[in-house]
Amino acid sequence: MTRSSWWTEILTTIAAIVLALIIGAVVMVVSDPDVLDKYAYFFYRPGDALAASGDKIGSAYFALLKGAVGSWGAITQSTSQAAPLILAGLGVALAFRAGLINIGGQGQAIWGAIFAAYIGFGVHLPLVIHVLVALIAGVLGGAIWGGLVGWLKARTGAHEVIVTIMLNYVAIRMLAWLLTTPAFQRPGRTDSISPIVDWTATFARLAGSQLHVGFVLALLAAAAVWWLLERSTLGFALKAVGANPHAAATAGMSVARTTIIVMVLAGALAGLAGVDAALAPSDSGVPVPLSNGIVGDVGFDAVTVALVGRSRPVGVVLAGLLFGALHTGGLGMQGAQTPGTVTDVLQALIVLFVAAPALVTRLLPFLRRRAARSATPESTGALT
Amino acid sequence: MTPDAPEAADSRADESLRLSGITKRFGSLVANSGIDLELRPGEIHCLLGENGAGKSTLMNILYGLLQPDEGQIVVDGVPRVFTGPRNAIDAGIGMVHQHFMLVDVFTVAENMILGREPGTLGLINLRQARRRVTELSQQYGLSVDPDARIENLPVGIQQRVEILKALANDARYLIFDEPTAVLTPQEIEELMRVMRSLRDEGKGVIFITHKLREVRAIADRITVIRRGAVAGVAGPGESEASLAEKMVGHQVSLTVSKQQHEAGDVRLRLSGVTAVAANGSVAVDDLDLEVRGGEILCIAGVQGNGQSELAAALIGTYPLRSGTIMVDGRTVDRFTTKERIDAGLGYVPEDRQHDGFVGSYSVAENLVLNSYHKPPYAQGLALRGGVIRSNARDRVAEFDIRTTSIDTEVAALSGGNQQKVVLARELSRELAVLVASQPTRGVDVGAIEFLHKRLVAERDRGTAVLIISTELDEVAALADRVAVMFRGRIVGIVGPHTSREVLGLMMAGASVEEAMASADVTTEETEGVVT
Amino acid sequence: MKKSLFVSATAAAAVVLALAGCAKPPASSSGAPANTPAGGKTSAAAPAGGFKACMISDTGGFDDKSFNQTSYKGMEDAKKALGIQTASVESKAASDYATNIQSMVDAKCNVIVTVGYTLSDDTLAAAKKNPDIDFAIVDNYDPKYAEVKNLKGLQFNTAQSAFLGGYLAAAMTKTGKVGTFGGQKLSTVTIYMDGFAQGVQYYNQQQKKDVQVLGWDVAKQDGDFTNDFSNPSTGLTQAKNLISQGADVIFPVAGGAGEGALQAAKASSGKVNTIWVDTDGCVSAADYCPQIISSVYKGMDVAVQKVITDSKNGTFDPSPYVGTLQNQGTGLTGFHDWDSKVPADVKSQLKQLQSDIISGKIKITSKAQPTS
Repeated sequence: MTRSSWWTEILTTIAAIVLALIIGAVVMVVSDPDVLDKYAYFFYRPGDALAASGDKIGSAYFALLKGAVGSWGAITQSTSQAAPLILAGLGVALAFRAGLINIGGQGQAIWGAIFAAYIGFGVHLPLVIHVLVALIAGVLGGAIWGGLVGWLKARTGAHEVIVTIMLNYVAIRMLAWLLTTPAFQRPGRTDSISPIVDWTATFARLAGSQLHVGFVLALLAAAAVWWLLERSTLGFALKAVGANPHAAATAGMSVARTTIIVMVLAGALAGLAGVDAALAPSDSGVPVPLSNGIVGDVGFDAVTVALVGRSRPVGVVLAGLLFGALHTGGLGMQGAQTPGTVTDVLQALIVLFVAAPALVTRLLPFLRRRAARSATPESTGALT
Repeated sequence: MTPDAPEAADSRADESLRLSGITKRFGSLVANSGIDLELRPGEIHCLLGENGAGKSTLMNILYGLLQPDEGQIVVDGVPRVFTGPRNAIDAGIGMVHQHFMLVDVFTVAENMILGREPGTLGLINLRQARRRVTELSQQYGLSVDPDARIENLPVGIQQRVEILKALANDARYLIFDEPTAVLTPQEIEELMRVMRSLRDEGKGVIFITHKLREVRAIADRITVIRRGAVAGVAGPGESEASLAEKMVGHQVSLTVSKQQHEAGDVRLRLSGVTAVAANGSVAVDDLDLEVRGGEILCIAGVQGNGQSELAAALIGTYPLRSGTIMVDGRTVDRFTTKERIDAGLGYVPEDRQHDGFVGSYSVAENLVLNSYHKPPYAQGLALRGGVIRSNARDRVAEFDIRTTSIDTEVAALSGGNQQKVVLARELSRELAVLVASQPTRGVDVGAIEFLHKRLVAERDRGTAVLIISTELDEVAALADRVAVMFRGRIVGIVGPHTSREVLGLMMAGASVEEAMASADVTTEETEGVVT
Repeated sequence: MKKSLFVSATAAAAVVLALAGCAKPPASSSGAPANTPAGGKTSAAAPAGGFKACMISDTGGFDDKSFNQTSYKGMEDAKKALGIQTASVESKAASDYATNIQSMVDAKCNVIVTVGYTLSDDTLAAAKKNPDIDFAIVDNYDPKYAEVKNLKGLQFNTAQSAFLGGYLAAAMTKTGKVGTFGGQKLSTVTIYMDGFAQGVQYYNQQQKKDVQVLGWDVAKQDGDFTNDFSNPSTGLTQAKNLISQGADVIFPVAGGAGEGALQAAKASSGKVNTIWVDTDGCVSAADYCPQIISSVYKGMDVAVQKVITDSKNGTFDPSPYVGTLQNQGTGLTGFHDWDSKVPADVKSQLKQLQSDIISGKIKITSKAQPTS
């Protein structure tokens, strides 16, 4: 990875975001009947349509920005949304660097949430110890679920994409079932909701904000993954197995063992995202009780975070913050009566452009020249 | 695309393919500089040069894959501008690629139609394609079953399909890009026969290679390219030494100066080694072999007789069905690859891109690919970057690895330098046994000389060296003893000066006695190198 | 870059223009620019005293073809009827609930309706914090709500209406077998299945028949579930399963996944029919109206509209609302295409049953019934 291609990647990502915002604006205008109505008489009074569109786009993006970073409260809300995305994104990224496509973040996070929440409400322990035990339990839950994938792949050669998708279903159904059992159901309720986690097991937060332990954990995890990938013997083997498993095996690395370890770690990271979902306080100050939607779509969003973050820890943190801010800002945007799905569209477009850089360079030709220039020294070597 | 009207009007004397003053730059690098080249129908013109000299760039220009910055391509007296292979094909130029452009799961006939205009009503006329295959096969003596699937054909036959494809496009000028790199000696002989028959049918053939023997065997004319420019023009009579000097730019010794060395104790012992391929056929069949410290034992044989499986089984990446492998008296066949490496087994894999290194890893990282986890390169779980880098600087200097920096990705190095990285990694450890498969395949002449010297030096240190090679030149240059492998077995072990003829017969399965008898020789006491 | 941006913007504009740019402007605002507030949809009509009703969905979103959508319709109905302002937020994750309720509080809503039991904790917390705002929660009640004076639980005793549906199914079957399946084993789902089974049982008792119920065992409280509320193919599988066991009237209780049962019925060319759930199927799934004998509706829209109306009129009452046959918060819709096919005596029996249930003469036994 040369410096200039690294720079090109950043530029491409920024270009992807800008392009997504532009298309998002068009979508907003087209999807708002009030604004669209004004285009019906565009030739008679173009001012109406343009002003309405401008107002629409301006107010929506202003609300998005304000909702995401407009105040200390909004910023910390964004970091709290980013925390599980970063954690699960690291899990996907780590596996990806080892050549494994981990679509199982969802199931791993669900187990993390189940274990952590159960310790949180079902067991009563002193302050600090309670949260630590719940955290470790959640990490274990995710690690086991991820490790199962690694074991199946190493042992039977089963493809991890299939296995992780199937194990997601299993985890989702297991959670649904557990929530109908007395151990998990809130006393006096017949619907699928657990008791609220004890305050002793709740992540501490900075008073008056949403900045909580979960975000700190996410940053620490990112640092740890960076060290693992760039400075440790395990990372060396992991990346080698990912880049060329045959050469790695010939050099004495155990592909099977590496696969299992990587999936255990990836599961642990996704499990940590589930722990965050179960133990982090929501806006109301208490954690969300365990329910079927406890982790949202974090396992799938994690794939996009890892993709946009180019599977590098720093990239994942930035992508997680971006999507966390988009999520928070999206809620603010709904307050301005723009459908929240616009942020989904934005997120999808960013991923699309990042995943298909050729599309971006076609739309923005100056990036292509840049890319061509930076790639030159290497390409000549290969041509001769 | 362009009508070929002028060509018809031209007399036969004007028929030629002429490149003049071709220059191609990539940024600051000049890949081709003012190259002139002429090809006439009915001749074989060899383009000789080391890896990275600019041969492939030139041919990609000729085939329309690249556009020259300067210079002109003239076909049969008409200047042409090629913006893509289609133009080149229409002008009568065909290319036999080094990496075949065939669809594995299609049959020969289906591959012939690929990329061509469909017949009337968009229908694919498979029967016609099949007939064409048969016709062309007979005309040029290239027998191929039109209904065989590509994936089931040996490499040599796949290459024939490539040739047939070019011929089916009515190519009059054929470019062979390093066609022998993937072939066994017998297949090379066969290919040369085909090229001669193409020449005799009036085709012009450009043959790109870096192997001197092949050039001398077949060329009518030779153009040597060095560093992007024409370094000389020669006839087939020119000596190998002179060609090599033109190619490399300085004098090279084509033989390895090798002192007689006293063999010591047996350090590698194989008994009853049996390995089975995925399709159930026996790849290595109850094989016994001993290699002593301080000797080089070469396993010669035609590709595909179990050598690859044997090598992989030795390092533990291919399962052993039965038998034992002993290194310095220790049984290692139940060891993992890592344990075998720790037991002093060094390994240079046959396919370095596939098994030898991680292309996206730097030179420094690849130099510790099998020792990164041990001191001094690691402390606990942490890598010691400084030590890894200083090791890399030492190895780069010692093995003369040509790289811009120790942080350069190995994928960006030339083949020879990649191989030096692999060899430097293995030879910088304390070894009991070194197993090297095709140690100089795809490596340029300058690097071969160096790599051979290092292998001999390793022998002189008392290591048992087992070299698996399909190149008889290499076997002759390095071996203290030669074992010939055929269908998973060693058919015999002979001395280093055994004639090529005898070795050839043994490679076809004859025993030592049979081979000697039918070749009517004992041992050929020539000057060390069998030519 | 600039150039490309311009190009795409121009292209987008051109498309819009090409589609429709030639109409005349509205006559009302001749010459003067239209007076549009910069918030788009926030109701442009003169607000009635600035009263604002707001709604927060659960993670299903307002387009879930289920209770979020029906509740949202209730708010839209109230907006039309009362000329009030409305606002709404969809939740994407459980952690959004508190944030979204707060954003609606910040938007100065007078009444806030949350949809679904998963919002119960956050709704109660918000009600405690904001005693001046009226809250209502759809499909949920918790005794703790009594702690505050401004939170109303909206529940539905659909066992009553499903009882009628069961009776109707039993009366219409030709094979003597009827079937049901649920989306998930939740009390809001199984209450329907309980009522349905009891209705069939009552029919057998009254008419001395032996119609069997497939897919739900009241005693064991177990049966067939799609474990999905949105994917019709899961419902199709369950329906085919029931049909293969002989059922010819099917009662799917699985939201959008239940559409699979409609597909199966349509494919049977008249042999198999259904009783739809939650909404009037002849409206929400009009294509399948010929396959729908009747629908067991759950009047979430009615309840939501009522709570908003009460709040606006200052008559908000925190005591839990339970939709019943009596207050028409739940019931059987009309027969639509089947009006001529349902025998008159069955129709009159259903009328009788309805009044017997209201009077308490028939006891509905489902344990999933709202206790309040």
